Amino acid sequence: MFEGKYYNGRTSKGMPAFITLEPSYIRVAWQTDDETGTEIWDLSEIHKSEFNDANTILEYGKFPRQSISVFEQGFKEALEQQYRDAKFLKSRYSSFAKTGLTGLVVGGLSLLGLAIVLFVWGVPALAEKVASHFPVSYERAMGEQLHAQMMQGQTIDSAKTEALQQYLSALKVESDFPIHVTVVEDDMVNAFAVPGGFIVVHDAILDEMEHHEELAGLLGHEIGHVQMRHSTKALTRSLSYFMLASVLFGDVSGIAAVIVDNASTLNNLEYSRTAESDSDKAGLELLVQNKLNPKGMVWLMERLNSDEPEFLKFISTHPNTNDRIKEIESHIRKTNYKPEPNMELEAAWKKLKAD
Amino acid sequence: MQETSTEQETTITKPTLAFKGQGSELFSIQIVNMVLTLVTLGLYYPWAKAKNLQYIYRKTELADSPFAFHGTGKEMFIGFIKGIGIFAVLIGVFMYGFMHGDNGVKFLCFALYFIGILALIPLAIHGMMRYRTSRTSWRGIHMGYRGTLGNMYKVYFTGFLLSIITFGIYSFWFDTNLRKEILGNTRFGNAKFRFIGDGSDLLLVHIKGYFLTLVTLGIYGFWYMKDLINFNINNILIEQDGKYSRLDSSLTGGQYFKLAVGNLLIIVFTLGLGYAWVVTRTMAAIFNNCEIIGEFNPDALAQTEEEYKNATFEDMADMMDIGLV
Repeated sequence: MFEGKYYNGRTSKGMPAFITLEPSYIRVAWQTDDETGTEIWDLSEIHKSEFNDANTILEYGKFPRQSISVFEQGFKEALEQQYRDAKFLKSRYSSFAKTGLTGLVVGGLSLLGLAIVLFVWGVPALAEKVASHFPVSYERAMGEQLHAQMMQGQTIDSAKTEALQQYLSALKVESDFPIHVTVVEDDMVNAFAVPGGFIVVHDAILDEMEHHEELAGLLGHEIGHVQMRHSTKALTRSLSYFMLASVLFGDVSGIAAVIVDNASTLNNLEYSRTAESDSDKAGLELLVQNKLNPKGMVWLMERLNSDEPEFLKFISTHPNTNDRIKEIESHIRKTNYKPEPNMELEAAWKKLKAD
Repeated sequence: MQETSTEQETTITKPTLAFKGQGSELFSIQIVNMVLTLVTLGLYYPWAKAKNLQYIYRKTELADSPFAFHGTGKEMFIGFIKGIGIFAVLIGVFMYGFMHGDNGVKFLCFALYFIGILALIPLAIHGMMRYRTSRTSWRGIHMGYRGTLGNMYKVYFTGFLLSIITFGIYSFWFDTNLRKEILGNTRFGNAKFRFIGDGSDLLLVHIKGYFLTLVTLGIYGFWYMKDLINFNINNILIEQDGKYSRLDSSLTGGQYFKLAVGNLLIIVFTLGLGYAWVVTRTMAAIFNNCEIIGEFNPDALAQTEEEYKNATFEDMADMMDIGLV
């Protein structure tokens, strides 16, 4: 028999009670100043009791629930011994907590391991799969809107845009997306691809170029990004990181967002290194297909590698230029053809360079 | 305070508040939660959340008796699915507008999206209060929420519009009015809550906090936060049988400094895994510094609530990041 308090579910007043653990029920004999009573608690109607400490609490029955609270030592143990297989004492949370410090450390570390595996391999693989199932027409529509928004507040050089479009149509290009090029006035030496086939070239990078093969290489590189859907993949990837973190951290949206923000940029940088080198290859292939001097790709890189501070901005988002040049040169060695002059391309190039 | 009690005599327990949870215990719960949530691709989330709340409530004590959270994963799962459904529709509208070339359609879709989100907030607060209070009990006595959705919309939109018109100045009154509406409709058995904080006092707390934080190069920021927390706690009254008691927080700036810096270090050095300790430390700092001043008698609460079944918007509030309780 144990001593505790009984609450009848109608008032918050604790009534002193004697609790007896019988084989198939619990008897609660309570008394107040002017009343006494006995409750018979059927084991199947007792609610799950978890997270007990010095105070063991049992709740019973339908709304409003009755309950007992027992501080007396030995009650918890007696309960567990008497009703070993009872449903109300079963809890995987409590069983895990009983594994103690070792359980916590092992559990924590394996969870960390699982998270790392998901983060490094799981999410990128999944994102790649999802992105490749993203319909081409959607990507095009999304890109169209993004491109339109990006072009707001930019000055488009329409003469150069037309010349660049001419240059592009003279090139043999393989792409699932119709390629649309725009030249904007911007001092930053840069060019980028928007999903769905939109390529934006700053006029500063055109001014720096000396050979039209560099331009062909640049276009090939950007078309490579478009064709391999790098932006869409990066987007699904960071979305998946966000989702993974919210799953892991539950409602800690704030902290999770901060962690994921930093972690995924680091990881995306890695991603863009492989993406960049794949696109470099695509650029080189375009030169080869059009029988243009493959050196164009190297000249493009070297131009980016010069000491002008403006170039740094472009390089910083790209992997180490020397490594890229080395890789391109190793691919060039495998090519075996004689570059042929292309009058159409050169004519368009002259128009582009004419000021 | 010494309590003398013999079995036969009934003693009035002192209404102290305390939080007894331990980071390591909560951590062991969170590990199980995370594993199950990952394995079920997130579907376990409502059950995980229920378990988390059950632990935190179980370790929060008033007059040496713990609170209990009766919400279940199943109830919250239904709310979770409904919430996701509504969000999916709204995001669909937004995306449709984004993809559409026509500016009129675009504008209409964006407007619909923002109005939709805005209209959901009062609904989410209302649903959450009804659900949370109905699922909270102490010594078997349930809490309850008597506010109506209509009043919640009125308070919310009046406050929202006036805040815009006054360039944000009204937002302090908006804040206190919302608390008045929410707490004024919260029942604890036959006891009622009231919030008596005034917008002008809140404005003063902010002005003082803002300028002193600037002057002290941010150091006062901890005291500023402490003042805000204490403002929100100290203005809560409990009415029981016609007598008023008041919550009183003795949290100091120094304690808040220790809490905030400690929490930050824990998060940074455990890569977020130590979040359980952040929760228990924060709960302990709030509750162990809080007491009820007055004649509140924890033994004299009577059950007044009916059984209540509805969990529609519990997780809606969660998704919108509204944390009230």
